Amino acid sequence: MSAALLTLADSRLPAGGHTHSGGVEQGIEAGLVHDPRSLATFLHRRLVTAGAVAAGLAAAACGAAGDRGALDALDAEADARTPSPALRAASRQQGRGLVRVGRRAWPTLDWDALPPTPHHAVALGVAAAVAGLTARDAASAAAYLSVSGPATAAQRLLAMDPLTVAAVTARLSSEIDAVAGTSAAPQGHGGHVGPLPAAADPLLDLLAEVHAVRNDRFFAS
Amino acid sequence: MKTRVEVVARRGPGGRTVLPVVSGSGQLAVRRTGPTSVHLVATAFGPLGGDDATIRLVVEEGATLTVHSVAAAVALPAREGERPSVQRVVAEVAGVLELRPEPTVVTARAHHVAELFVELAESAELTATEQVLLGRTGEEPGRWTGTTRLTREGRPVLHTTTGLGPGAPAWAGPFTPRAYASTVHLGREGTAGTGPDAVRLPLPDGWVATAWGDRLHRVVAALDQLDPDRTPTGAAAAG
Repeated sequence: MSAALLTLADSRLPAGGHTHSGGVEQGIEAGLVHDPRSLATFLHRRLVTAGAVAAGLAAAACGAAGDRGALDALDAEADARTPSPALRAASRQQGRGLVRVGRRAWPTLDWDALPPTPHHAVALGVAAAVAGLTARDAASAAAYLSVSGPATAAQRLLAMDPLTVAAVTARLSSEIDAVAGTSAAPQGHGGHVGPLPAAADPLLDLLAEVHAVRNDRFFAS
Repeated sequence: MKTRVEVVARRGPGGRTVLPVVSGSGQLAVRRTGPTSVHLVATAFGPLGGDDATIRLVVEEGATLTVHSVAAAVALPAREGERPSVQRVVAEVAGVLELRPEPTVVTARAHHVAELFVELAESAELTATEQVLLGRTGEEPGRWTGTTRLTREGRPVLHTTTGLGPGAPAWAGPFTPRAYASTVHLGREGTAGTGPDAVRLPLPDGWVATAWGDRLHRVVAALDQLDPDRTPTGAAAAG
């Protein structure tokens, strides 16, 4: 465990993650999230779908840091796995925010190999690399962030007990580790990006698109 | 059992499509049923767990091919062990390909894996539909895992894996549908749109729509509502 990993996964890192609820805001509106139990179910499905995809991309991007062609290819793979325009926009917004803070925290030319507004997972992989972390670390950060931000959003929107929400997130620890481990494992050969996790979630896509056209929302996604 | 199907569609004299290769072995036979269409005919029960089918399609520039099936496929569990049945469609398209198979019913304790890999040339068109029902009437649902990877000129356009049924990690909580249907189209643009338990998402020069619920006919109707070519007003309102 490295302090750099703790920094990357810290919600205080000013990368803009706090303005996104990861679908929780619309999940609450739709009646899918209303108490600790339903929140745990929601976070779990987010972890095994969007979280797994992000972890796989982050791990691959960590290994590709500095390689413009490989990072462009991974960014295209992220698009192919994120057909929802609302979720694409949310991911790229957070990617840009992470690059902004990452450039200051870990100045290196490796940032220039990223596309101008990269997907968050791709930027996170590069951030892990320039901070001296491993692909597995990048996957862990991505998997953890796929639930930690949404958990905080639920706490704020439902005025939930912070201790309860902390416990819900903490109980997901072993599953977060499992998702990170599976997603970061080398799959395929020759740097093939095809076998990256691609778990889709039509429910989260629907929530994101309904949320995007609301004008009474607190969170950007 | 291994099943291998191969169909090649080519632009023939006068611009008409000819099918120089139409072959099936194992559990699927192929019948030419129209100038540009074939039907897949199951020659045995199943698929059973452990069965492996590969359907290879080539649609050359200027050719059109539509692939149907004559009846629903009923995926049954392996006689021994827990191996899934696998059906893989691998297509190279420079012309126009439509895949419109009948539904797949996944019976209790069965696991069916459906894979669709399509590489499209610059001006190629694709429409592919998928209809899934978990469990026959009064039966526990089976498990279905569907992966779609579409690339155009080598660049990924859509790559998703959807897991349904007991044991699929995201088939839980508020999302445990027994019926699922999806259509992906590349060739004409579509905007984002939503319906109750249905969503349409834009792709480069195309769209993908998904609907889910408890009854397949209702799910298919919800999916039809999101077809931008059928409901232009709905598409405009949602976009």
